[in-house]
Amino acid sequence: MFKSGTIFSNFTPLVKSPVIGYRISGDDVLEILKKLTNKNFSKNHSRVQIIKLFKRDGSILDECSVVYFKSPKSFTGEDVCEVFLHGSPLIASQFEQTLKEFKIPGLRLAKNGEFSYRSVLNNKNSLKQAKAINQIISNDSFSSLEYNKKLLFEGDQVSGLTSLREEAVDLFSEITASIDFVDDEEFNFKKIIKKAKIFFYKCHNILQKTKNMNKEKNICKIMLIGPVNVGKSTLFNKMIDKERAIVTNIKGTTRDILSNEFIFDGRMFEVFDTAGHRDKQGKIERVGYKKAQQLSLEIDHFFILSDKYSTKKQIYSLKKDFGIKNNYTLVETKSDQYQYQSKNVKINHNLEKDSVLSRLKISLIHKKYVSYKVKKADFNDEEIDFLENILQYKHDILNESDILIIAQIMRNILDDFSYEFGYINNEDVYDRVFSNFCIGK
Amino acid sequence: MEHYDVIVIGAGHAGVEAANISEKYGLKTALITKNLSDLGKLSCNPSIGGVGKTHIASEVDILGGVICKIGDKSAIHYRVLNLSKGPAVWGVRAQIDRDLYSKHILKYIKSSKIDIIEDEAINILEKNNKILGVECVSAGKIKSKAVILTTGTFLNGKIYFGREVKEAGRIGNSSSKELAKFINKNFKTMRLKTGTPPRIYTQSIDYDVLEPQPSENNGIYLSYFTKQNTNKNINCYITKTNNKTHKIIRDNLDKSAMYSGIIKSEGVRYCPSIEDKITKFGDRSGHNIFLEPEGLNSDLVYPNGISNSLDIDIQLKFLRSIKGLEKCEVDQYGYAVEYDSVDPRELKLNFETKKIENFFLAGQINGTTGYEEAAGQGIYAAINAAIKLKKIKFNSEVFARNNSYIGVLVDDLTKLGVTEPYRMFTSRAENRLKLRTDNSYERFGININKKIFNKTEFTQIKKNINDESKIIKKLLSLKFSPNDLMKKNIKVKKDGKVRNGFEVLKFLEPTIENFKTFFNISINQKLLTKIYFDSKYEVFYDREKKSYEQLNKNKNMNLKNIDFNKIPSLSKEILEKLNKFKPENLYDAGKISGITPSALFQIVKHKKIKGDRVA
Ligand SMILES: Cc1cc2nc3c(=O)[nH]c(=O)nc-3n(C[C@H](O)[C@H](O)[C@H](O)COP(=O)(O)OP(=O)(O)OC[C@H]3O[C@@H](n4cnc5c(N)ncnc54)[C@H](O)[C@@H]3O)c2cc1C
Ligand SMILES: Nc1nc2c(ncn2[C@@H]2O[C@H](COP(=O)(O)OP(=O)(O)OP(=O)(O)O)[C@@H](O)[C@H]2O)c(=O)[nH]1
Ligand SMILES: [Mg+2]
Repeated sequence: MFKSGTIFSNFTPLVKSPVIGYRISGDDVLEILKKLTNKNFSKNHSRVQIIKLFKRDGSILDECSVVYFKSPKSFTGEDVCEVFLHGSPLIASQFEQTLKEFKIPGLRLAKNGEFSYRSVLNNKNSLKQAKAINQIISNDSFSSLEYNKKLLFEGDQVSGLTSLREEAVDLFSEITASIDFVDDEEFNFKKIIKKAKIFFYKCHNILQKTKNMNKEKNICKIMLIGPVNVGKSTLFNKMIDKERAIVTNIKGTTRDILSNEFIFDGRMFEVFDTAGHRDKQGKIERVGYKKAQQLSLEIDHFFILSDKYSTKKQIYSLKKDFGIKNNYTLVETKSDQYQYQSKNVKINHNLEKDSVLSRLKISLIHKKYVSYKVKKADFNDEEIDFLENILQYKHDILNESDILIIAQIMRNILDDFSYEFGYINNEDVYDRVFSNFCIGK
Repeated sequence: MEHYDVIVIGAGHAGVEAANISEKYGLKTALITKNLSDLGKLSCNPSIGGVGKTHIASEVDILGGVICKIGDKSAIHYRVLNLSKGPAVWGVRAQIDRDLYSKHILKYIKSSKIDIIEDEAINILEKNNKILGVECVSAGKIKSKAVILTTGTFLNGKIYFGREVKEAGRIGNSSSKELAKFINKNFKTMRLKTGTPPRIYTQSIDYDVLEPQPSENNGIYLSYFTKQNTNKNINCYITKTNNKTHKIIRDNLDKSAMYSGIIKSEGVRYCPSIEDKITKFGDRSGHNIFLEPEGLNSDLVYPNGISNSLDIDIQLKFLRSIKGLEKCEVDQYGYAVEYDSVDPRELKLNFETKKIENFFLAGQINGTTGYEEAAGQGIYAAINAAIKLKKIKFNSEVFARNNSYIGVLVDDLTKLGVTEPYRMFTSRAENRLKLRTDNSYERFGININKKIFNKTEFTQIKKNINDESKIIKKLLSLKFSPNDLMKKNIKVKKDGKVRNGFEVLKFLEPTIENFKTFFNISINQKLLTKIYFDSKYEVFYDREKKSYEQLNKNKNMNLKNIDFNKIPSLSKEILEKLNKFKPENLYDAGKISGITPSALFQIVKHKKIKGDRVA
């Protein structure tokens, strides 16, 4: 087993929230649990227990859920425990402090990605799978999320590149045979080149398809703009279902841009709250407003909010500032307080979130900018880089008339595949040669 | 009692080359063989060379060996395979007159200072794992500082005509059972097998209906030193098996030594028996057979392509179903031979056994097959013996994997071992573009000396090297801008780069006339071809060199003392492989099929951690 001390880390953000989770992995897990709870966990594999945790001085740290996974049946393959503290950063800091006070040699905070790394080292996950985990975490598209999940749960062989690897080995075998076993079978240079062409064509095709798919991003970016104090931050908080933006009756409350993701109707959005527009902006406010303007290129749709006090001129300059053409909806706020004559969408803060979002036709907006159908992506970013790299050889091979040079370049391609999928050595190639061709006398 | 520096046991191709070079380097040498008539015998097909094999042979040639020179002297038919693909993979193959070859070898060895001892070696004498000498049936104990064992297929050799088994090293030779005892006691051995086709009387073949294959004697010879071949050149002929042949064989697979399960040892994938071909590639309508004459005065023909171990009546039946062979008569039937060979991982890099000092093994006994492979090992082992015993001046870096096929062979054998008889292919060499038959004098240059070549040969090499360096010097001094080249109808990138003559050469059609008009330098075709390809492959040499250096870094990561079992994070399959191949360093580990980068990574981690704790 791979060993280099026990590591711990929080796996939820250290912010006020219902729970803050910690994971601990390594040889000393049982000892730590014993010290924390005065109980022996060694027979409690994979069972959730609600139990009191104690600080060094004997006082209670928290009462919470703890799960212990016995090696090797854990994520990392080592002994692991997961602790779900009450979601106070204060408790979290006491928890870390307590761990430190145990003075267990080698116990330390995990580095970024170290749990996944250990899972690879202990053969719980392949390198590709570990990469897939990282991709899942940093993913904003449902389609590649599915692909990465597949890689993770089913292993390397689901990678679409495995079949390309086979083709590369086949092609190289034929080239090899045509040189080393000329008098055993008939070989034809043109046929080999044609095969190479098909190989590169496939690489190219996959890449093209995948790239197009990546353009069909799955996240729809929307921005709330409008004069100061019209209720942008109120709407923002409603959309994301959290009190994130500060809402006051003071004009110019929001200065910097805030953004957050939310899911509605199975679709993913990112919403930006901005500093309000007014003729006399403060210095910080102005910087914030500028920043929002710069972001505008990435935005799919704008909601221009206004209330009874907003003027047409203001709306006009907003549109101009943000370079808005057709991608906007005019929204009138505080409809509980004021009567409007226009046909614009009207909302107010007493409405339920869902009803606000439907009034804003937010699902339709998603449809308009983001491909509705979630297609299945076959490759993740790493694999795309890999393919791009392979395609760099295309020109050199297809324009070469010396089969030996072609063979030499093909060898580089196989080396690249080796690196991703395990070594391909001469014997593997000969296996292919001798099963595909009748070689020898 | 005589006291030798080196005793070579066995006078096949490995033994002859070993004895020859050992004598040339001034060591007192004895060559023990069971029969004088066996000297340099071609046990199987009467031909030398071919793609990959010529490559090794040409290295033996430039190291002072005999196989190419005597091969050319005895050749009666030439072909050059891959002629259109460039000298990196040219495979000259010569049909050899068996009798001529034996005659020339015998004459050559007799004229040297080598003592030939016609006897059977029955034991190796050693004390405290250091060699003392050899014990023979008649001559008794003979002392020597080093022993090179090259007994080919003789150790516990058994031959199979169909289901009939005999103990023999090959047809007509007894197997070496006494000696096998010593080897099996001291080394890890394995059972391998190979086969040979029947020999047919030439008068019984109807050549009129067959396609002749004439000799292509176009000035490309086995040996660097051969100027011409004056023997009469004769045709080979081609025929084919057919559905009827296939049916006969298929119906009688139970009468084949290999297919009835009598022989269990590993055969060769690339020298398949006809039984194999028909079982694996039964959908083919026919398999080629090359009818190769065994000599100018021989009445026998070697039908290349139908080696088998069927009962002899079945052999005759299927032969007579083949076009041109309808009335054929057989002199000797095909058979399979099964023998003990030593796991080559028992050897150090210099082919000395790890266990017994100054005991060297070379040739088929190390799990290889082929005359050229045997010759390469023979010369390699003897050079190493000479380096050890006499401290001769020899730079062994020439045997690096990226500089020679002998190096590739040595590296593969000692690192990976074998699971089937090992034969050389050019694709085994990562640096194939550099390892050419037309530049071996360059690759081995530092070791070329007057001891191993006579005066004519030595002057020939020196002159060649001088001519070449003069021409290269001139070429380097000529400068061409893209515009100059445009005017001469050569398309290059308009990159403003001024190229020297050597760089421009690759854009030309490499004819003497072109070369003359373009550079105003006279040159011969052989040299032109060589430097043309140097010019063409230059970029790849550089690339290869870089990746070789990269790999060498991994070579420094020593894995000798690692117990892989202590890395439980390795999967079972990977552990099995590592334990089987016992890689000495990270580079070798990476060459094992199926070893993944993450496995290498784990090994490195494990090693680092262990190292840290020690520190
Ligand atoms: C039946 C058969 C089929 C083959 N088929 C093929 C093929 O299809 N393709 C191919 O490439 N190669 C083939 N070969 C292999 C090729 O012939 C050998 O690889 C090559 O000749 C090996 O050379 P060597 O020097 O190692 O041994 P050998 O040429 O076998 O020489 C061994 C020598 O050792 C001597 N010797 C053995 N024991 C003793 C002893 N105790 N005391 C003294 N002298 C001893 C023998 O007399 C002989 O001179 C075949 C060989 C045989 C026998
Ligand atoms: N009655 C009523 N009041 C609202 C409504 N929406 C917002 N308000 C009030 O309007 C004031 C400003 O709201 P914010 O959401 O901070 O407005 P803003 O557009 O973000 O303002 P700046 O950040 O200053 O540009 C607050 O006092 C809110 O409570 C609504 O629908 N009805
Ligand atoms: Mg605000």
